[in-house]
Amino acid sequence: MRNLSFALIATVVAAFVFAGARAVNSDYLFFAGYTVLQFVVLATAWNILGGYTGYVNFGSAAFFALGVYTTVFFTKLYPLPIPLLVVIGGVVSGLVGVGMGYLTLRLRGAFFAIATLALAVVLQTLIVNWHFVGGSRGAYVIRPASVAFLDSYIQYLFLIMLTVAVIALIAARAIERSSLGYGFAAIRDDELAAEALGVPTLKLKLIATALSGAFMGMAGAPFPYYIGYVQPATAFGLEYAVNSIAMPMIGGTGSWIGPLVGAILLGSLQQIATVTISSAVNLLLVGLLLVAFVMVAPNGFVGLIREFLLIAAPSRLNARAVIIVMIATYCFVGGILGIVLNLSAVMAPNSVLAAIGATGLILAVFNLVSAYGLLKLQSWSLVLTTIAFAIWIPFSAFYLWLDYAPTSVAFRAVVIVIALVALYYLQTQHVKLLYRTPLSEGRVMP
Amino acid sequence: MSTPLLEVTGLSKRFGGFVALENLDLAIHSGERVGLIGPNGSGKSTLVNCLCGTLINETGTVRFEDRNLAGLTAHARTRLGMARSFQLPRPFFSMTIADNIRVPLIYAVNSRPGVRLSESEIGERCIALLDLVGLKDKASQRPVDLTQVEMRKLELARAMAVEPKLLIADEAMAGLSGVEVHDIVTLLIKLNERGVTVVLIEHIMRAVMQFSQRLIVLVSGKKIADGRPDDVIRDPEVVRAYLGQ
Repeated sequence: MRNLSFALIATVVAAFVFAGARAVNSDYLFFAGYTVLQFVVLATAWNILGGYTGYVNFGSAAFFALGVYTTVFFTKLYPLPIPLLVVIGGVVSGLVGVGMGYLTLRLRGAFFAIATLALAVVLQTLIVNWHFVGGSRGAYVIRPASVAFLDSYIQYLFLIMLTVAVIALIAARAIERSSLGYGFAAIRDDELAAEALGVPTLKLKLIATALSGAFMGMAGAPFPYYIGYVQPATAFGLEYAVNSIAMPMIGGTGSWIGPLVGAILLGSLQQIATVTISSAVNLLLVGLLLVAFVMVAPNGFVGLIREFLLIAAPSRLNARAVIIVMIATYCFVGGILGIVLNLSAVMAPNSVLAAIGATGLILAVFNLVSAYGLLKLQSWSLVLTTIAFAIWIPFSAFYLWLDYAPTSVAFRAVVIVIALVALYYLQTQHVKLLYRTPLSEGRVMP
Repeated sequence: MSTPLLEVTGLSKRFGGFVALENLDLAIHSGERVGLIGPNGSGKSTLVNCLCGTLINETGTVRFEDRNLAGLTAHARTRLGMARSFQLPRPFFSMTIADNIRVPLIYAVNSRPGVRLSESEIGERCIALLDLVGLKDKASQRPVDLTQVEMRKLELARAMAVEPKLLIADEAMAGLSGVEVHDIVTLLIKLNERGVTVVLIEHIMRAVMQFSQRLIVLVSGKKIADGRPDDVIRDPEVVRAYLGQ
């Protein structure tokens, strides 16, 4: 019942996303959105094995590429409709997942991770030497010129990936709250104890690898139509392996929402960085963020919020605590965006622009640190956040003075209003009480 | 006498050249409280692992309710009604205390033929089991918040959730204080009175003597004594093994 209502809500949200994108009606938006959604699917799929069951898979790219090459193979034989190809890609990758699982799941920890990496290399070698699907030369897949009911082909692909993403999220959430989810968590926490308490560990691990592999294959299946020309180096790209690990880790591996948050955040960020800096800087950004998160917030951003709520509002959801979570989230997203946007400004030849960029960069770092401090209930974070928001106001006003295009004015005005509201809120009595009480006395939101 | 609940014949286990268990025979009858003692390295834990399917014995057979267990995985043996607690508590740290109990209810009890606990029945049983070991108030907390003795109790409650016919408690009291040891012994006797056969592996002699109706002594992988506790501890061979000559 709860699963059904979640499915319904997810479908409605997806419908709104699609309608919204149609309203903007920019092919670029669909193009970028497709990539973000593809990472939502990959991250969610990785999390079923990596997050729920605790087996780190470095070979995500192999499963993705299996989906890609299944499509290439069938398109060479006889062009099938993409939804069908998605299903076939999922089945093929799922079966390979079971096979890989059977061979490697006796290995634990780093050994399993290395084995999955080896699988990717083996598969890539096979594909490179398989001439029917293009070998190392690659293969062209010609898109149909038009598609029924929709304005352009990219909209169609976007819709397909949106559907797959919704299905993946519904499945992930359903697993989490089922007996399967308890079994997976038991395996992750202590495999020996799980087995002793009646959990059929090998069977459950095979189910996890099958599901995880299947969704990765489904993410890959429409890819040849998206990109038009596939070669092994693209399909087996490092970015798929790295992103599908980094996104759940940064979002939070405990629940379905972590990979979703991580994928939307990092996926969008990469699209922005591709436009403002260069496509090569993407993986650098992801790598730095991953290192930072593993060090200071190993449970991801969602984990940080959950821990905060557990301390500040343990019994019920408290509106005041939620507002602090919103401020922290705003600081975090603003901080990350600020780094990407200002990084290009810092490198500008114009010294004024470079100076603004440098200030923005420092501000962004301030924001990131204060987001962390707010969620960790550190007493210094109140001061730091206040300073950051106080600087934001003149800084945004200065930008307003530089650029008075209507969209820019609207954007900066919103930023200033948010900063003012946050400044006011952080000075209220109950927030001060929450952050100034010694930790030993228990910090509950008054 | 009727067929024993657990019957081990000619069991041997070696690790490379080291013989951990050698040609071991033993029988545990339904409803018994058996103590199993032996110096460190005598093969007690190896025996538990062979009985429960974590390790595979090279020779010999283990029969449970007259059924040969050869080739059965650990989880299959648990489903038949054998439960164990671990020497060091191994709770599922990411779950709440109640969810720790939920796992065996879902996977061991619910997988038995003809059993289908509803969601609310599972919830009730979790609470009932936690009540039995005195952890009811902590049901929604996590294992990190528990003390050492509470961890041991959780470990036992989790093994009990399996609804075992035979419970093997592997050093359930190591490192506990006097009062705490008494707590656990009382708990184990309570479980036995409910019809569970219990094998207690322990070093603390006071607890073993208080608990056991029968005592088995293992030394260097061999059974050297098996009988009434008072007789066994006076057995010259047992005294020699423990105190040296």
